[in-house]
Amino acid sequence: MKQIFVIAEIFAGQIRPVTWELITAAHTITASLPSKQPTPAIHIMVPADNPVPLAEEIAKRTGINVIGLQIPELKVYTSEIYISCLEQLMRANPQISDSYQNVFLSKNKKTTCKALIKTMNPSHIIIAHTAQGQDFAFGLALGLNAAAISGVNGIRSDVEGLIYSRPAFNNNKNMLIRPTPKRPVVLTLMPGIFKPETYKEKKTGQIDIRKVSFAPSDCQKERVQYLEIVKKTCDNRALKKTKVIISAGRGIKDKKNLKFVHKFAQCFSSATVGSSRPLVDMGWLGYQHQVGVTGATVAPKLYIACGISGSSQHLAGIKEAEFVISINKNPEAPIFRHSDICISADVVEFIETFLQKRGDTSGFHNIR
Amino acid sequence: MNVRLFFVDRDETSVYAGSMKILVCLKQVGNDGEINRFDLHALEEALSFKEQIDPQASQSVAVDVVTVGPPEWTKIIRRAFGLGADRGCHIVTEDSGYVSSFVTATRLAAVAEKRQYDLILTGIMSEDMLAGQTGPMLAKILGLPCATGVIKTNLPTHDNMIEVERELENGFRDRLAIRLPALLTIQAGINTPRYPRLSNMLVAGQKEITILAEADLFHEPIEARDICIGLENPQKSRSGQILEGSLSEKAEQLFAILKEKGLL
Repeated sequence: MKQIFVIAEIFAGQIRPVTWELITAAHTITASLPSKQPTPAIHIMVPADNPVPLAEEIAKRTGINVIGLQIPELKVYTSEIYISCLEQLMRANPQISDSYQNVFLSKNKKTTCKALIKTMNPSHIIIAHTAQGQDFAFGLALGLNAAAISGVNGIRSDVEGLIYSRPAFNNNKNMLIRPTPKRPVVLTLMPGIFKPETYKEKKTGQIDIRKVSFAPSDCQKERVQYLEIVKKTCDNRALKKTKVIISAGRGIKDKKNLKFVHKFAQCFSSATVGSSRPLVDMGWLGYQHQVGVTGATVAPKLYIACGISGSSQHLAGIKEAEFVISINKNPEAPIFRHSDICISADVVEFIETFLQKRGDTSGFHNIR
Repeated sequence: MNVRLFFVDRDETSVYAGSMKILVCLKQVGNDGEINRFDLHALEEALSFKEQIDPQASQSVAVDVVTVGPPEWTKIIRRAFGLGADRGCHIVTEDSGYVSSFVTATRLAAVAEKRQYDLILTGIMSEDMLAGQTGPMLAKILGLPCATGVIKTNLPTHDNMIEVERELENGFRDRLAIRLPALLTIQAGINTPRYPRLSNMLVAGQKEITILAEADLFHEPIEARDICIGLENPQKSRSGQILEGSLSEKAEQLFAILKEKGLL
């Protein structure tokens, strides 16, 4: 029987919540498969130097069987270790699979440990579309001769089988992708789309701990050395706390037009200026202004996007905003699909008009 | 076509020792000969390595560019010459529509493998497809270590190591040291891409570009592992009320909405 493997996202020894979304996607796949097809079994894989507590936490919460990959070398994530160990384990090669030691290290007597699967035969491998997931998923796909689909935001099926949707064309369209048959499929799943499930049953999943060792060939030895994790020092507490955010994007066209955005922000009793990523990359605004997954995830009462087209990264960062208004010249801008109010206009002209209407002309003409 | 053909055992002594071969993979986006923004950052990174390692321009560092695409993409190789790239290769394809990243990576590997590059750079993803697969797949085919989303690099050291920072979520970064030869996928914000230089542009037109057809590299076409069966509009997550009218009418409506919500 085939299996669906969900690779739990482990960061700094913790399970990241996106893992629960991956499980929802696995269930979406089993529910979407044509009924005549045998349903693959879902297993959650937990790679860690000590996977037992993490595996127990997942098995207890979800009731799904968990395979803990005990990789002594995995003190910290590197793509080399992940790809090599997962590839060794998941290659449909019984000879390799049999040589794994099944060891159980937990003192928790309630969980049983046995080899859950003799031969790994993945139909789907589900990984988060995060900095970590994107770093190892596609190398792994290649190693397993699998198809790879990135940033999946929808799963459904037709008579010919499963169809996956994923964003493309600057997030303006979804592409519908069908993998060619008879190969495993590696999916990276866009975070924030598949809602975590609530598990009512008090069933605990079984745990299978497998020792896998990262045994690079001589020429591979220490090709990637992990040095440290660093945090970009920046104070974005203002963005996180504020009630109103006025954000600028590439639609303002010129750095000197930022003054209109600032002026717009001054119309509100207390608003903070935010920014899309490209403006920060170009050095127009500091990193403390950046809104989105790689900047600040925000939840203001009002978010006004000025000339921001709406990349997935940015949209994920403003999901919790109460009310979203966007001003964009392009009526097809993806951000309009995720706004409460859409204003199709040149953002600088619009702000100018708004300021004039408001009667706030103090020094306005001097600015121009 | 089995990709394993391209796995190569490398001669570890051939790498960087004051001289260096860098390959930058480029993709065209849109129809106007525009280079994918992330690839431009990758090219800038390569060119700045070259200037720092070889300030006398003694040809000890070579920056090559390669693209895989329809005939008109030769234009982006010329653009890269204008920016300072040394040599260019164009694998001319006849695909129409969606090309699976696996196919692109395999084609690139055929070229990259021949010249045993010390460093291969790609953009983190293309602006149109947003997949981010080509770089990591190319690395795997060539058997190279790979870091994705690189936002900072140090110059390679003489013991063949390069220190990089990978961008993670929420302002975190992983700092890694990677042994060359290696592949890095470059994130925006790492540098500011330069403008073409007149001196480079003057020679760009005359420079020779290696043109290869898929048949020069493979006995049979590479089989895609996924196909695109259609496009659709993404779902809405909010109501998306559109304000109608003239600019000033729209401004008035917004003013009223903000007032009503007590937000002004």
